[in-house]
Amino acid sequence: MTKKSGKMDRNNIGKWFKSPGNMGQKYSLHALYFCTGCGIIEIPPTITTRWDAERFGVIPVATPRQANLFLITGYVSVKTLRYIIRSYEQMPEPKYTVGFGSCPINGGMYWDSYNTIKHLDKYIPVDGWIAGCMPRPEAVFVAVTHLWTLIDKGMATGYLKYREHYAKYRRNQEKILGELEWPPLFSKEEENEKSREKVAG
Amino acid sequence: MKNPGKKLQDELRSMFESISTEGDGENRMTVKCRKEAVITMLSFLKKTGFDHLALISCVDRLNDNVLELVYILSSYGGDVAMQKLNILLKTTIPRENPQFYTATEIFGNASPYERELHELYGILFRGHPRLTPLFLEREYDIPPFRKDFDTRKYVKDVFDQIPFVDDKKGRT
Repeated sequence: MTKKSGKMDRNNIGKWFKSPGNMGQKYSLHALYFCTGCGIIEIPPTITTRWDAERFGVIPVATPRQANLFLITGYVSVKTLRYIIRSYEQMPEPKYTVGFGSCPINGGMYWDSYNTIKHLDKYIPVDGWIAGCMPRPEAVFVAVTHLWTLIDKGMATGYLKYREHYAKYRRNQEKILGELEWPPLFSKEEENEKSREKVAG
Repeated sequence: MKNPGKKLQDELRSMFESISTEGDGENRMTVKCRKEAVITMLSFLKKTGFDHLALISCVDRLNDNVLELVYILSSYGGDVAMQKLNILLKTTIPRENPQFYTATEIFGNASPYERELHELYGILFRGHPRLTPLFLEREYDIPPFRKDFDTRKYVKDVFDQIPFVDDKKGRT
């Protein structure tokens, strides 16, 4: 076992030299302990002794300002969406979002609910989904290892897309929540996007 | 006392007109009464020993065109037989422009239940100290827990109208 893991480490040396930043980020994911919906019941056993998420470098933190992994655990009501957006905007970049359970994907069993948003990726960018109702804690680790692959290949770029298409996201957020009480995160992006569209069109 | 419900039934019948009671009186007793008698009956039941208001619930009876209010009472004081008994006090109010008197004077914990019913069924509780929004973030034309609120249509009109944020490479 030790021999095998030693071999793996030597294989990774190339990656460490190539992009040390990526390697550092992927092995220290700080998950935001944000209780959305019923999926949060899976998170305490995941982060504590039974499944011990720290083996994968995932550790829960108290505030969004210290986090870079956002697990949306379960259905998102309109009221929760407001605080999800606020928390997401407070997280430092690079930040990764994972939708946990079938409800953030397409509404799940709340598909005809009057107060639950159906597609989370209309409001904030999502890097990966875990399907299931509920997913087991093992699924969190599968998601984390997939996220490692995405970070390695430079595909986990949700936060860059949020920067780029901020005006569209903000428009969607205001459609559902009405007037937002906080100022736009990227104030000049809207003009930039319009000018980009003019050049492209 | 073996069956507290029987004695209570007789007492209620002697005190209030036009009420009907159901149930065996051991575990659950349903009392239906006119809406004028509800507040009096709640204070009478509280004095009798049913000092805990567990829930105020509402049923939308679309066919009868009424809203049915259900006050669920139980007892912490009294003897063991009485503690086993739950009382469901039911009354009906008209569906159009529904109004009712608040029970907060008798049971203080009626306040959040009445705020909830105000929000989800549109019932105006007169005399309530603070009838402000409790749960909902958006405003609805019809209160969303009423039977004539079409959730499917609402989802199509509101949530499905919001576009996906598309990239040139595809959906983000």
